[in-house]
Amino acid sequence: MASELRVNTLKDAAGNNSIATSFVASGSAKAWVNFTGVTSTAARDSFNVASLTDVGTGKTNVVYTSAMANNDYAGAHYTNSSANTGEYDFNNAYAGVLGIDANRTTALIKVAAFSTSAFVDSSQNDVLIFGDLA
Amino acid sequence: MSKAAELAAKTPQFQGTHLFDRLSWAKENLDGVQSDYRVVYEDSVDECAKILVPDPNWMACALQGGILPPVQSYWELAKDEAQPDFVKHTRGYLLHDTEPMPAMTEEQAIEYLIMKDCPQSVWQTWNEGNKPKMVICRKDQLPATREWRNAWKISEELATDHNIAA
Repeated sequence: MASELRVNTLKDAAGNNSIATSFVASGSAKAWVNFTGVTSTAARDSFNVASLTDVGTGKTNVVYTSAMANNDYAGAHYTNSSANTGEYDFNNAYAGVLGIDANRTTALIKVAAFSTSAFVDSSQNDVLIFGDLA
Repeated sequence: MSKAAELAAKTPQFQGTHLFDRLSWAKENLDGVQSDYRVVYEDSVDECAKILVPDPNWMACALQGGILPPVQSYWELAKDEAQPDFVKHTRGYLLHDTEPMPAMTEEQAIEYLIMKDCPQSVWQTWNEGNKPKMVICRKDQLPATREWRNAWKISEELATDHNIAA
């Protein structure tokens, strides 16, 4: 890197509110993506994501560039479970699904948008991943 | 000097730097590149065709060069994870310490991404059988609507000696 600071603890200007840099690193998102699954799956923006794979209606694999250390990491997935893009276009019977078992590896996680009784292609999907990197 | 050449000249020497830190640099310094390419593949006869979409920020890294590790590093990690006693990766250094890939063309980047993110059983034998298991196409060659998405299959009219979608 062009330059770096090597410190163990950060404090504010008054010397208060200290926080370990390891705490900052552990608590930072290791990957995130904002994508649409409507018409053609596409990321609007992302970090540490190599590709999205459309695996069927409402289902998408998010594949990382920098792999996770193990498959015990945590994440969150918001979806509006609607193909519409209006300000209040969301389905209140929705679920943003994050994969488990074979659908959560160090290389990828499968996410899905569920609405009432079926998977649905959604205009808004936000995925956040926290954990340790390989 | 072109903007691309100027950026290439500014790319730090990243070998030995954690891949995550390289991606942080790229996020700050490179504009995303939306690829028009899509990779359609089938890895199970019981499931619909899958469509791989390159991430714009990843594509920018691939085109820039000096950021992404060799694809073989990912294969080695996948082998480790496939072991029944796998707990966590202990060879993450393969991503960080191996010499980064040089700048790729968009087509080379797609080939790299196929070897990274598609199952090996697909891309190693994509042209064996009655029809291809995998097709690289342009976005506008995909169906315009999502109708019957869960029934999409690669056309049986495609021959395995064709390299592009018909």
